[in-house]
Amino acid sequence: MEYILKNGIVYDPANEINGEKMDVMFKDGLIVDNVSADAEVLDVTDKIVMPAGVDPHAHVAGPKLVVGRLYRPEDSRRGVTQKTKVLRSESGFSIPSCPATGYRYSRLGYGTVVEAAMPPLEAKHTHEEIATIPQLDIPAMPLFGNNWFVMEYAKDNNIEDIAAFVAAWLKISKGYGIKIVNPCGSEAWGWGMNVHGVNDKAPYFDVTSKEVIVALAKANEMLNLPHSIHIHPNDLGHPGNVPTTIETMDAVKGIKKGKGAAEVRDQVMHLTHLQFHSYLGNSWKDVTSGAEEVAKHFNKADNLTCDIGQVTFDETTTMTADAPMEYDLFKLSGLKWTNKDIECETAAGIIPCIYSKRSPVSTLQWAIGLELFLLIEDPWRVCLTTDHPNAGPFTRYPRIISWLMSNEKRQDMCDNEVHKWVHKRTLLPTLEREYDFYDIATITRAAPAKIYGFTDRGALTPGYRADIAVYDINPNDIDPSKQADEIEKGFNVADYTIKDGQILVKDKEIVKVKESQNIWVNVKGWEQNEQKVIDNIMPFFTQYYSVKWENYPVHDHYVSNPIRVDVDGK
Amino acid sequence: MKTITFDQIKTSSIALEFDELIPDEIYSWTEADFAKYQVPIGNSRFPITDFFDITVEGEANGPEEVEMILNGDLNRVKYIGCKMSAGNIVCNSSVDLHVGAEMSGGSILVKGNAAAHAGREMSGGYLEIEGNTKEFTGASYIGEWRGMTGGQIVVGGNAGKQCGECLTGGRIHVKGNCDILAGIHMTKGLIEIDGDVNRWPGGQMKNGNIVIHGFLGRLLEGFVLNGIVVDPEVEGTTFKGKYIHYTGDIGLNGKGNLYLGAEANKEKLAEYGELDDEYTSIREYRNL
Ligand SMILES: [Zn+2]
Ligand SMILES: [Zn+2]
Repeated sequence: MEYILKNGIVYDPANEINGEKMDVMFKDGLIVDNVSADAEVLDVTDKIVMPAGVDPHAHVAGPKLVVGRLYRPEDSRRGVTQKTKVLRSESGFSIPSCPATGYRYSRLGYGTVVEAAMPPLEAKHTHEEIATIPQLDIPAMPLFGNNWFVMEYAKDNNIEDIAAFVAAWLKISKGYGIKIVNPCGSEAWGWGMNVHGVNDKAPYFDVTSKEVIVALAKANEMLNLPHSIHIHPNDLGHPGNVPTTIETMDAVKGIKKGKGAAEVRDQVMHLTHLQFHSYLGNSWKDVTSGAEEVAKHFNKADNLTCDIGQVTFDETTTMTADAPMEYDLFKLSGLKWTNKDIECETAAGIIPCIYSKRSPVSTLQWAIGLELFLLIEDPWRVCLTTDHPNAGPFTRYPRIISWLMSNEKRQDMCDNEVHKWVHKRTLLPTLEREYDFYDIATITRAAPAKIYGFTDRGALTPGYRADIAVYDINPNDIDPSKQADEIEKGFNVADYTIKDGQILVKDKEIVKVKESQNIWVNVKGWEQNEQKVIDNIMPFFTQYYSVKWENYPVHDHYVSNPIRVDVDGK
Repeated sequence: MKTITFDQIKTSSIALEFDELIPDEIYSWTEADFAKYQVPIGNSRFPITDFFDITVEGEANGPEEVEMILNGDLNRVKYIGCKMSAGNIVCNSSVDLHVGAEMSGGSILVKGNAAAHAGREMSGGYLEIEGNTKEFTGASYIGEWRGMTGGQIVVGGNAGKQCGECLTGGRIHVKGNCDILAGIHMTKGLIEIDGDVNRWPGGQMKNGNIVIHGFLGRLLEGFVLNGIVVDPEVEGTTFKGKYIHYTGDIGLNGKGNLYLGAEANKEKLAEYGELDDEYTSIREYRNL
C-alpha cells in the first residue's frame, strides 16, 4: 500500500526540517520520496507531522511490573475501560495492563519504547510481557551493574572478558545494551547495605562502583554497541548526591567511542533520570536544587547524554533495581513496600509514591526536572522521560511538553500552585527559556533515536520505517506560551499514529492492533571469546544459580518476530 | 421531589450493576428514558425494563430531590448507590456487594442484609443496613490503604470480618456483634460496637477510636493498658459507664484508642488485680 500524508507541517530534526509544509509519503512500511498516482491521500492540512515518538527509558515489561500490579490492585482500578471490537479492556494508571500500555503509547503517537531494566534471569518473563504489549517496538536493557561475574572481571580490570560476557548475555537475554543501576549498591543491599559515592566497594567483591562503570563503558565501546552504557548512578534521590553524579560523569572521560554501529551516537554514557541525581544539601531539611551545577558540568562534557525523569505530580508507583533506595523511600513515606532479590544479578523494590504540589520535596523534584530541561543547552543531548512510572506515568508527556513550551504556565504554577520551596530552593522561576516544536520533536524523537544508534526510526528519512505521528495542532495558529492547555490537549491523542506503514490510530481512535516486536543486538566476531567466558563461569553458575544453564537463555519462541540488529564487534 | 420506584419483575442469576442508576445520573430521567436504558450484567447489557417496572412521579431539579425505592429481591443487584453524592435510596430487600461504595452524600436505607464491601471507601452521607453485613463494611478496597474517609454507617445486626479496615475518617456503628479484625489499619474515625467481638480489633491501627460495649474474646499483643475510664468522651460522644482503655497498636507506634465495656469484660478486669503502670496487654495476652 502507498500513502501520502498531505499538507502537514513537518518537524523532523534529524533532517533539519523545522515546520515546513510538505507531504510525507510511505509505501510498504517504509518512508519513500515519491509514490504513484494510486497512493491513498490522507489529508493532514496544517497539522503537525513528526516521526513517531521514541521513549528511551520506561518500565513497561518484566517481573517488577507484575509484582507492582499484584500488590497495587488499587492502581488497576483506575483507568478501567470496557473492551471494544478492536481493543481489549484497559486497566491501571501508573502500572497499566500490558494492552493498555501499548494502546496509550500509540495514542500519544509513540512507536518505540525501551524497557529500561531487565534482569537476565527474568528475561524470559520480560519478553513474554513484551509480546503482550501491542503497537510498539520494545528493546530491553539487561542489567549488568551488580552482576557477580561483571564485578569479578571489573576487579581484575579484565575488559575483554567483560565484553565477551556482555556479548553473550545480550544474545542470552535478547537484550539491546548495557544497563547499570546503582552499581555495587543493589549487591550491597543483599547485605542490608548500600554504597555511597562511586568509590565505595560492594561488600565481599573488593570493587568500586567507578571501576564497574569504567569497565562496562570500555567493554561497551570495544563491542561497538549501538547504544552507550545507560546508567542510573549511585545515591539516587539522596540530598547531596551532586558530587556522586559529577564523579559518575567524569568516570568516562577519555573513553573512546567504538566504531561502526557506535558511530551513529555521540555519547559514551547515557545518564538516566538525571533529576533524581541533582540534589544539594545534607538532608531533606536543607536540600536545594543542584540542577545548575549538574547542567553546567553536563553542558561542558560532549560525551554524555541524559533523560530527565520529570515529576508529574501524580500518585504513582516507583519501581527500580535500586532496592536500597526503595527501602529509604519506605522509611520516609511508610507506604506499603515490596522487595526482591535476583540471585547473582540484581535486586528490586517497589513502593507507591504520591507527588503532591503541596509537598516541598515533590515541588523541589518537579522544579529540578524542569530546570535541567531548561539549563541543558543542546536538545540533542536530553530526552523527555518520567522514568515511567517512577516520577509519573508516561501518559503525562503532553503535560510536560506544555510546561516546557510555556514560561507563563510555569510561572503561574510557581506562584499559585506549588510549594514555596520553588522560589527559595530552585532557579526555576528565573528561567524563561521556552522549547519550540522543533525542540520537542528533538527530545521525544530525534535525540533518543540517535542516542540508541537507531538507523531505521526517529526520522522521516526515505528508507526508514514509516513510524509517523500526526497531531491536531496548527503551529501557525497557536501560541504555546499562552495556550499551554491546548498544547497538552493536542499532544494527548494523535490524529494519526502510523507504525511500519500501518495506520494504528486514525482520528484519535485506535483502529488497528499490531503485534509488538523486540529489538535486540547480536554482536558478531566474539563467538570464541563468549564460549571461553561461558566455560569459565559454568562451575559457578551451576553451583549458585537456581536454574539450569539450559533453561537460562531466552529461547527463540519467547521472542516472536524480533528485529535483530547485527553489530560487527571487531 | 421525584420518586422513582423500581418494582422487580424478574431476577437474574448474574448480578445487575446499578452504579449508573444513582440520583446524580437519573434525576432528570423520565419513564421513557428508563425504557431505553440497558443495565450492565456480567460482560453484557440488557434492558432494565426486563427486570423492573419503573414508575416516575414528580419532578427534580437535582439529585438531592430524588428518592429511589427498590422493591423485590435485590440479592443479585450490586453497586446500589455507588458513588452517589445526594438523594435517597430505600431498598426493601437484602442487597448484593458494594452498596453505598464510594458515596459522598445522600442516604441509603437497606431493609435487609448487605453483602461484602457495604459503604466501601465512602466519604460522606449516611448508610443504614437494618440486618447484617458481610466482610469489609466501610473498608477500603483490596490493596488500597485509604478506606472510608467520612459519613456514617449503621449496621442494625452483625458485621463481618475486617469491618472499618483502613478507616480514615467517619463513623461506623454496629449494633450487633463484630467478626475479627475490626478497624485493622485504621488511622482515624470511630467504630462503635454494641455487641461482642470475637478477636483482634484494631490490628496495626495508627490512630482513631474503637469502642466495644460487649465482650471481647481476644486482644492483640500490641495494645497497652491505659487504665479504667468513666464516661469517656470520644469524638464528641460521651459513652456512659466504665471502660477499660487501651492504646495501640504499639508495634507501629500507634496512638489509637480501644475502649472495652468494663461490665461485659469484668473477667478481664478481675484478672488485672491491682492496676499498676507497668501492666501491659502482653501479660494479659499470655494469661488468656
Ligand atoms: Zn533507574
Ligand atoms: Zn528507570
